[in-house]
This record gives sequence, C-alpha cells and structure tokens, in this order.
Amino acid sequence: MRCLVIIAAAFITASLSACVTSTVDEALFNSPSKGIGDATVVILGRRHASDYETEPGFIDCVGKHITAHDPSIEVIDELSFINELYPWFEPRTAPLHPQDIELLLQKKLVAQKLQALGTRYMIWIDGSTVRSDSAGSLACGVGPGGAGCFGFGTWDDDSSYEVTIWDFNRRAEVGRINTTASGQSYMPAVIVPIPIIAPVQVTACDSVGEQLLQFLSSEY
Amino acid sequence: MWGSTILIPRPAARAAYWRRSAYLLLAAVLTACGPNEVLVKGQFPAPLMQKLPLNIALWYDEAFSQHEFFDQAKGRSGSSWIVKTGEAQVDLWNTLLPGMFQQVRLLTEAPQKGSTIAGVDAILVPHIEELQYAIPAHTQIKVYEIWLRYRFELLSPSGAPLAEWSMTAYGKTPTAFLQSDEEAVNLAAVVALRDAGANFASQFRRVAPLQSWLANHLQQGTGPQQLSSQNIHSETALQTQRGVAQ
Repeated sequence: MRCLVIIAAAFITASLSACVTSTVDEALFNSPSKGIGDATVVILGRRHASDYETEPGFIDCVGKHITAHDPSIEVIDELSFINELYPWFEPRTAPLHPQDIELLLQKKLVAQKLQALGTRYMIWIDGSTVRSDSAGSLACGVGPGGAGCFGFGTWDDDSSYEVTIWDFNRRAEVGRINTTASGQSYMPAVIVPIPIIAPVQVTACDSVGEQLLQFLSSEY
Repeated sequence: MWGSTILIPRPAARAAYWRRSAYLLLAAVLTACGPNEVLVKGQFPAPLMQKLPLNIALWYDEAFSQHEFFDQAKGRSGSSWIVKTGEAQVDLWNTLLPGMFQQVRLLTEAPQKGSTIAGVDAILVPHIEELQYAIPAHTQIKVYEIWLRYRFELLSPSGAPLAEWSMTAYGKTPTAFLQSDEEAVNLAAVVALRDAGANFASQFRRVAPLQSWLANHLQQGTGPQQLSSQNIHSETALQTQRGVAQ
C-alpha cells in the first residue's frame, strides 16, 4: 500500500508543474543575415554586483539550449574561456563597454588567443533568480509506525536577466535582450509531500536561448 | 543466528559495544563544538600576457606559505572559523609570477642584507597583512565574502629595500551555489585569490613606488646583474608552465 502511495506521489510530482509568467523584450540591430558561420560564441556572466551573481548554471543552460537547437553554433565554455584569457575577464578586469574591446585587443597575446578561438560574438548575461516570498508550514515526523509530513508551503521565484551581445569585429553592441519570469511553487503534504515546482529559471533560460538563436542561427 | 548475536551480546562484547558507542558520541559532540575549518584549494591559470624582461627572486616567509586565519566565535550561537590559505597562496603566486616575468626563482632562504643573489634584478617578498570574511550568518546577505590585504616588498639583489606597496583582493560567492559553509568560503577564497592575481598582473606597471625602478630597468634593457656573489642562496627555478583548469 505504501509503495503504491509513493509511486502515485512520484507520478503526480513528475506530471505537475506550476505556472510561470515570462516576458521578453529585445532590441536587435545588425543581425547576421546567414548565421554566424564558422565563428564561435562565448556567453559570460556578469559578476560585478555586490549582492548577487549571475549563476554559472544559467550561463551553462543558455549555452546548452543554443547548441541543442543548432549544433552548428559553437559555444565556448565560460570557465574555459575565462581561464584561457586570465586575468582579463575577471570581475576586476572584464570589459564593461564594447569600446573596451579595442583596449583588450591591443594586448598582442589576447588578440591572438581570441583570433585562435574564432570568437565573433561575446554575450554578457547579468541577472539572477531570487526567492521573493514564501509562506505556509510543513511538519514531518518519524514514528515506529512510519514517517509522514503534513502541511502546505508555497514560495515565489523571480528571474530577471539582461543580455548584451557584442560583436568583436565591429567592436560594437549589436543587440540587447531583457527577460523576466516569475512563478509560484506549491508543496502540499498529506503523508507524502508533493512538490509542484514552477520552473522559473528554466523558463528564463529558454526565453533567452530562443532569442539568441534567432540572432545567431541561420535556421531560425 | 545474526539476530541473536546482535541483540543479546556476551558481557564482554556488550561492554565493548557501549564503550565504542560512548566514544562515537563523544567524537560527535566534540566535532560539533570544533571550529569550521577550510583548507583553501583551487587551481589557478597562468596569465596571458607579455612577460616583463625581469629576473625576479621570490621569497615566501613562513607566515605567508603557512598562512591561516582564525576567528573566534563571538557568542554561543556563532561558530569559530579557521581558513588556511597558505598552500593556495603559494600555488597562485608560483603560477602567476612565472607568467609575468622572464625568469622567477624561488628562494629557499630568507634574503639577508649584505649577501647578494646573483642573476636577479630584484627580490619580491609578499606578505598577507589582513584577511576578513563574512558569511550570511554575520551579514544577513546571502553572499560569502573574503577580503585580503597584501603588502609587497621589492628588495635589491643585495637585500636593500627598493619599494613597498599594498594591494587588496576580494572574492564572493552566493549561498545558492553551494551546499555547505565550508565549500562556499573555499570558493570565495579562490575567487579572492584569482582577483589578487588579476590585480597584481594588471596593475604591476602602474604601482607608484615601482615607477622609477621599472623605468630604469625596462628602458635600459639591462639584464640581471651578473655578480659573483660569495654567498649565493640556494634557489630553485620555478616551472613556468602550469595546468589551467578548474
């Protein structure tokens, strides 16, 4: 009987997810007409703010979304890129404006490395996903007869990310995308807790990935 | 058979069982009371930059190479922290400096006035003056932070002071990234060390007390002083190529 309850709970958990509201604003100019060809793209997170950091997992998610939908686009891994170009992309030294690319390329070894990597577009993502509110209570107990939980919990997550696309050849910003997503997750528990999770960050990741694909891919 | 062995142990076995349980309980209690200890570990990439035509000798004193920071708990609810950065410091500077200078030699004895080290332009001695950390329990902000203040001494090959300057470094990591306080403090420390490397590498030519000395050495293009020292320190050439990964 308990086994059936667990299986049912697992099934319900897998099949339920809470709603997410997402908004995307984009301003793209000078888009490549036939994709980016043999050039590579690097996606980097901004880590300048004092109270948050763009999650490395989000950067990875956007990169995977792009390569999963258009395998011809080569996205360089963020950490590999930062290590290859150390110390010029640390929070202290990273270029903040497209004009700073010129200064960066004056360093001979940096210019050679970027040329070797074939980096045409540098995409900066700044933002984070935060838990904005939570309510409810959940109590769990263990006894000789078994274990169980009872209660109800709910929480809100909000994502906000700004994406800036720089063109290395033109030394200019060629596009900007803003995305926000919010959703409320629930966790009712009667013996077994059933999480109904709102995939807020994943939705924001997919939104950004889709917009970037429209910019970078010849197939979109 | 197995059940009877466990449930009804012989008196000697029972005593051993209780003794072992008591030791485990004591160990658990003592562990819970001990300070949080972080041995900072990370890998640091070599810098991508033109090397300066300087031959530098490098000396780490014990306070630097064995550096650790201890913070006593302020109250009953707080916890003490030991953050050991010495090993990671040595890793960082042993990787960074050979990428910045033509040649770097690691001294195995402290530089002394009156004894000249042959074949080097200067001796660099780093010191850690201060380390501060903040965890969410202190600040109510969901970020772990490490702040470091270094002091560098540049000495002539004969040990005379040439310049002295300070430098700060900062690293942080949000709570959401990692599972434990120790992991988060380690990552914040690694970020701070990378920042120290970035600050040193990008600002070295702009350090005010070094300007005239650097101008003399770089404009003249003179090689290292080839002195026939009578008291040469034992020294080891550092490997300049290091793995880059994390």
